[in-house]
Amino acid sequence: MIFTAPASQRSAAGTGPPRASWTSAGAQAVAAALGGLSLLAISSGLVDLLGAGDDTTVFLLTGTLSGLAAAWLLVLIRPPGRVRDSHVLSGVAVALPLLVGLLAGLHLLVGSTTSVVDALAEATAGLTTTALGAIEPAGSDHGLRFLRAATQWAGGLGALFVGVAILPFFGAGREFADRSRIRGRRPMTPTQRIALRNILIVYGTASVATWLAYGVAGLSIFDALLVAMATVSTGGIVDGDPFARPAVQWVAVGGMVVAGTSLVVLWRLTVGRARGLWRSAELRVYLGLLVIGTALFLLWTDGAGPDGVRHAAFTTTAAVTTTGFPSAPAGTWSAAVPVLLLGLVSIGPMTGSAGGGFQILRHRALLQVALREMVRQIHPRAVLRVRLGGWVAAEDTLARVVVTQFLSVSVLFVTALAVAVLGLDVVPALGAAVHAVSTAGPVRALDGTVLDPSAWPAPTRLALLPAMVIGRLSIYPALVALSAGVAVCRNRIRLARRIRSYRGRTL
Amino acid sequence: MTTPFSLEDRWASTTGHVTGLALLFMSVGMFVSAIVGLVAGSAGLALLGAAAITAFLGIGLWWTTRTGALDHATVFTAVGGTWVVASMVGAIPYLLAGTFAVAGRPWAVVVADALFESISGYTATGATVFGGHNQIADQGAGILLYRQLTQWAGGMGIVVLVVTVLPSLRASGLGLIDAEAPGMGVDRLAPRVRDTAIRFWRLYLGLTVIIAVGFLVAGMGPFDAVAHALTTASTGGFSTRDASIGYWDSVAVESVLIVALIVAAASFTLHSHSWSRKRIIHFGDHEFRGFLSVLGICTLVVSTLLALDGMAPARALRIGLFNVVTLGTSGGFGNATGAGSDGDWVRWAAGSQMVLLFLLVFGGCTGSTAGGVKIMRLRVGIAHAARTLHGFRRPRALLPVRQGTATLPDSLVERVAGFMVVYGMLVVGGTVLVAALGTDLVTAVSGVIGSLGNMGPVLGDAGPTASFVDGFPTPARLVLALLMLVGRLEIFPMLLMLVAPYRLFRGAARQTRHPGH
Repeated sequence: MIFTAPASQRSAAGTGPPRASWTSAGAQAVAAALGGLSLLAISSGLVDLLGAGDDTTVFLLTGTLSGLAAAWLLVLIRPPGRVRDSHVLSGVAVALPLLVGLLAGLHLLVGSTTSVVDALAEATAGLTTTALGAIEPAGSDHGLRFLRAATQWAGGLGALFVGVAILPFFGAGREFADRSRIRGRRPMTPTQRIALRNILIVYGTASVATWLAYGVAGLSIFDALLVAMATVSTGGIVDGDPFARPAVQWVAVGGMVVAGTSLVVLWRLTVGRARGLWRSAELRVYLGLLVIGTALFLLWTDGAGPDGVRHAAFTTTAAVTTTGFPSAPAGTWSAAVPVLLLGLVSIGPMTGSAGGGFQILRHRALLQVALREMVRQIHPRAVLRVRLGGWVAAEDTLARVVVTQFLSVSVLFVTALAVAVLGLDVVPALGAAVHAVSTAGPVRALDGTVLDPSAWPAPTRLALLPAMVIGRLSIYPALVALSAGVAVCRNRIRLARRIRSYRGRTL
Repeated sequence: MTTPFSLEDRWASTTGHVTGLALLFMSVGMFVSAIVGLVAGSAGLALLGAAAITAFLGIGLWWTTRTGALDHATVFTAVGGTWVVASMVGAIPYLLAGTFAVAGRPWAVVVADALFESISGYTATGATVFGGHNQIADQGAGILLYRQLTQWAGGMGIVVLVVTVLPSLRASGLGLIDAEAPGMGVDRLAPRVRDTAIRFWRLYLGLTVIIAVGFLVAGMGPFDAVAHALTTASTGGFSTRDASIGYWDSVAVESVLIVALIVAAASFTLHSHSWSRKRIIHFGDHEFRGFLSVLGICTLVVSTLLALDGMAPARALRIGLFNVVTLGTSGGFGNATGAGSDGDWVRWAAGSQMVLLFLLVFGGCTGSTAGGVKIMRLRVGIAHAARTLHGFRRPRALLPVRQGTATLPDSLVERVAGFMVVYGMLVVGGTVLVAALGTDLVTAVSGVIGSLGNMGPVLGDAGPTASFVDGFPTPARLVLALLMLVGRLEIFPMLLMLVAPYRLFRGAARQTRHPGH
């Protein structure tokens, strides 16, 4: 799709000729990454004052400089004459790795680690909300602890922006957005601007409510804030073991369930239009997945009693929502439990939530495609429509879902192969790849023991990073950017070759 | 005027008619094995009894039925039904000969093992329940030959064989072949469907003879050469030795096997055209070139990893090439000389095992005897993904999916996409089920993929030197046997085989409720 920028925007942006779409997208991506770093660094610097305040200067200085750079870029950027879908998606795809690099630099600057790989792994895990962090900060290091939590929170917010306010407006899954005004409904995302506002409202409300709930359950205000950020964003990276108390664990279960719920559902609950929500097949499947997963986990781990149920609910919810809070194995794990957890992680939560994985609505689309194919075998000439959420899904959407599955499996396999070649055994390699693509965690051994990623060789951890980024971007933006990059290089090479041959002929 | 059992009196059932004829063909194989068994003095009478029972059932079904409707649903029922019945009846020789009646094993497990071996044979999978507790070497020549013949019959397809002698099917026979043949549709080699089926079987027979001669020249004994030629042409993987090809530990035998497996995993349509044009046209085919590329790249990766792991480079190349080809063609032979030897891929580093897992998914070319998803589908999937990504940059462009110079219709692309989706769902669902029955993650996932792709030995506890009895409990083995049937018929015929009977019963019930309509 190609959008033409409104005249008001064009005149406000400057008097010069409009920039090319890709130049603007690239510049905005850089500005967004710098702006993100600025907000994270300044807020961490201020929080650091609550503790020893050792890193406050570095945080504030970095934040200010990057903020100024972002502002300077934003002033320079003129909106293009027309906006191309692929350039917007490429911009999104460029912004995330750029922010990862900048954040890794910040980690090195504040001295949270001296290893570049650790810094990159930590930044990527945080921003992609994958519970495979590599740094264990000291309890008194308030600024750094806040930075970790805030990074996840920003990653979750970014995932929601991409999934709810960007992809549906730029060619990938228009049917997945809530834009219908039928029967006087107030849709959540009628336009991009309103979508951004509503996402902030719902995400912020959920964060504050979870924070309060953790506080009531017995965590200190600061710890409650950090764990709430990790919960709502489905990040799952926490310091130490904050879930020792049963009450905290139950709050975590509730928080994770909310984090895995579609923002549209939460929005309708917020605006008081909860009637008819139960008709949502996706919501029913999501809740059913949580209940059935918990029951199977109980069954296959010899769990019993209230503690067994709590532990099962906690582990299962952490898997389905791809939050990945760590938990020690309770009881004896049968061979089916690792498969169950990997399956739940791959399925993931509802579409339009902060969680990763392939997500339930896409699985429903795949199931419908499979059923249609079977009917087609019997009736080859029948015209068969696929319905999703009461609407007839466009063939483009279905094709994209199928291709997404194909690409996800391809990325998963390549990642598993890479980490296996670089030193992991088959089971951890498969587990690490599935968790990286689904932006979940933690990777477990067959007996349920949580594996420590920081003990893996550096190349292995580096090999997981692209999968995390691609998984967090829902595949498409990353691969569109990649294919666009390949196309640009190919075109440049072809042009250079033609020029050379032209010169050769004329000389 | 009609006579008893005249054509008009017979029950109009395509499924019954095709199944009856298929059983008759199977009884011929059993009879040949019985003769070998009688000569060798082992299980000859049991095989003779099994041949008689099968022939009786076959004649009974064939004589009392005639070809009926041949709509899409009936075709699936006929093909699926034939395979289910053939697999079950194929277990009779093992049961009568007491092949799996090892002391201490309950009768239910013995029946399950016989069924598993039969299904693994007819689907040309090559997974076996023979092992340390019940060795192949202890079996007589009759049973061993029968076992090899099941794979040979299943490799080209029992229903294709039926079509060669069933003129009443006419053009509808192509539907039957299409439903049974691996790939995305079957090419007519001759104007008449029956002639097409005959050409396929002639090529298959010729290939088998050439391979047998090759094995003889390479140093195998006559019985072993014929037996292995039967399972090589069918890319089945059953062997007459417990150590499979590792028993010979011979470069010559392995070389013949590698070439033969690659030829068997290439499209038989290509072979036919090459034969008729008197020149090799394989290298002009995009799928075949892709197939060779996949095998080449995987061999390079595996050999390099093995060499890095401490194996001598030449040995690494030999071991890597053999095992990549045998899994990449869904052959499933092994060249391990014992547990923990170089060819025992379960002991390899994880990277090499991941490459083998990839090969378990994609088998050979369409229109071959190989199993798996097929290289063509992989290519179409990649082209479809590339088109979708390209569509973001050129939203108004009409982008076709191409294979070589040919543009594929969207319906075919959708069909491939649908197949991949159903395949993925079966892998996930099967893995969860098999794991729930008590199998570890790697063995479960590779076992399910290997069964769906009719591969043979897999990773984990069911590797090349192990038995499926070691890797999977009895209920899990039955699930895998079902998946072998589903995979052999490329999913849809088995999943949809009950549609026609359901319609029949629904129609009968309506007729009972509303007699006037």
